[in-house]
Amino acid sequence: MSWIREGELNLIERLSANILKAGPVPKHVAFIMDGNRRFARKKHVDRQEGHSQGFNKLAETLRWCLQLDIPEVTVYAFSIENFNRSREEVDGLMELAKLKFLRLLDEREKLEKHGVCIRVLGDLTLLPLDLQQLIAKAVVATREHNRCFLNVCFAYTSRHEMANAVREMAWGVEQGLIKASDVSEALLSECLYSSNSPNPDLLIRTSGEVRLSDFLLWQTSHSCLVFQSVLWPEYSFWNLCDAVIQYQCNHASITVPQLHPNTTLTPLHMTTPPYTLLHNTTPRCDPVPKARELHQDEQRRQQLEADHACVAELLHHHGNGKPADAPRRQEAVTEYGVRREARVKDFLDALRNKRDSFLTELASQATVA
Amino acid sequence: MALVYELVWRLLHVLLHVHRTLATSVRALLRTWRGPAWRRALAALLTPAALAGFPGPGPGTGRRKLPPGEVEGERDRSRRRVRVEKLPLHVGLLVVEEPPSYTDVANLVVWCMAVGVSYVSVYDNHGVFRKNDTLLLEQIVRQQDRLGLDEPKYNVGFLSNGNTVHQDQIVPCQPVVKVLSPEDGKHSIVQAALHLCRTVEQKERTSKDIDVPMFDALLRESKNIPDPELVVKFGPVDSTLGFLPWHIRLTEIVSLPSHIDVSYEDLLGALQRYATCEQRQGK
Repeated sequence: MSWIREGELNLIERLSANILKAGPVPKHVAFIMDGNRRFARKKHVDRQEGHSQGFNKLAETLRWCLQLDIPEVTVYAFSIENFNRSREEVDGLMELAKLKFLRLLDEREKLEKHGVCIRVLGDLTLLPLDLQQLIAKAVVATREHNRCFLNVCFAYTSRHEMANAVREMAWGVEQGLIKASDVSEALLSECLYSSNSPNPDLLIRTSGEVRLSDFLLWQTSHSCLVFQSVLWPEYSFWNLCDAVIQYQCNHASITVPQLHPNTTLTPLHMTTPPYTLLHNTTPRCDPVPKARELHQDEQRRQQLEADHACVAELLHHHGNGKPADAPRRQEAVTEYGVRREARVKDFLDALRNKRDSFLTELASQATVA
Repeated sequence: MALVYELVWRLLHVLLHVHRTLATSVRALLRTWRGPAWRRALAALLTPAALAGFPGPGPGTGRRKLPPGEVEGERDRSRRRVRVEKLPLHVGLLVVEEPPSYTDVANLVVWCMAVGVSYVSVYDNHGVFRKNDTLLLEQIVRQQDRLGLDEPKYNVGFLSNGNTVHQDQIVPCQPVVKVLSPEDGKHSIVQAALHLCRTVEQKERTSKDIDVPMFDALLRESKNIPDPELVVKFGPVDSTLGFLPWHIRLTEIVSLPSHIDVSYEDLLGALQRYATCEQRQGK
């Protein structure tokens, strides 16, 4: 089955999509595609068939996302914990993955036509070498596409991802590219596997479970979480619309377009009653974006504080014993900030090159007819 | 045409908002209809039985101690016990609505401890509870007094601002309440990363030494409490808003509409939801 399911929405689906798109639509949605095995038991088919149906549903869901103007999707395909399953099931999943990535390579032209960029996030070294090579080839082949993005988490857990990011920063320190004091929340985010993507706006988990199961724990700290009881292979366009509506309820529109020259409607006051439709009142900020902005402000404050502390230490060690005056200190902090940012940029370039070279090397080893 | 879609979208969200407001009002109405007399009666019947086995000054000292996991249902006056098959060791109470009600949060904390939860953490994304932790503690002590829990054995171990429980105390003798804020989330992870990078800078270790168990152990040095098995989120926001990102990898997240006037039954529902979940741990 193909990665790209061609097809259009029917009339009612198209109308519903257009209505939803009148409001804020998430730019990045993450899916925990749970329920393949329960679906297989329900339909009395074997597990492998359940996983295969799950893949087909992924292809269909990607199409719906594109039709709802959601350009980026991240999916949890295989957790490091899933290696604990039976040998038979794990081998079956690896074989399914190989088939799908081979198929993807066959569909290169279609992917180019639709501008689909595929990324695989996880510790690829845990996978069989032939699968690693296929994945690398697929990622390298679609690297330059930029219309929409599919991130597949494979051999992934969030804790591994965070620990790996810390290891990369430590590597940067070892190589003399950055100082330990350059470590910050923003830098850690840039060292995650998902550094090329913005944080998901919306995370959807199917099959009724209400946990994150070690998926994007860092990135979804301020995301809208939607738990749905439908099993993944039975996911429908309406389930997706429902999730988007819940996202919109957590993030109502802030800006209001003019309907007539002299009239404005307020945005909907979503969470605290009473709701009133008024004219010419100030738009209200909504809880999740507000919380995200607060968090970002706090990050900036902490970075500035850290820069001040580093400069104070430097002035203490290298100064002439006299305390520096405020303008001198401020100038030193600004200069320090500029130098830090330059160091960090060089480190991130080196990290990107390291990762790209790893994939390019693997891709060149792949033998595909 | 775009205008039509926009109007329909607004209408849809108005209807959703009306539906949500009605649901909140009906819930509030049911509570007030039951009245304070009903609540007192329930409290009188309910809490002593739930706390049975806590030697208190009240009458009936020969009460049988409730086995772990057995909690009192609120549904009828015949004190029908509701069996909760498994209890979380650590419950996180996540308040995502403003302003927070210290009395209601204190109630939740005391109820959690009463049913046998060993660790209770309280969190809001503005750090309000952290800034006013003495106020929260006062409310908790007041609620405990109201229920007759003033034995030293059942005093709350109150941790705020990075204090730790002894590392060998997996299940403490006394319940522990921890007040958390966003500083305990990503900021703590970054501080641990900073510490590791400093040791690498000083050549005390290499980057290859850094892995999940090692990082986990480092995080636990500053905050040695078990991962929360259950988070009960109160409020209309569908997000964890920065709550302990590292620690919630397997946490069940149960949402309740509000913590204002929250009832014991509401908490019990969340505990039962936790009890019925099946953690496959990737298998």
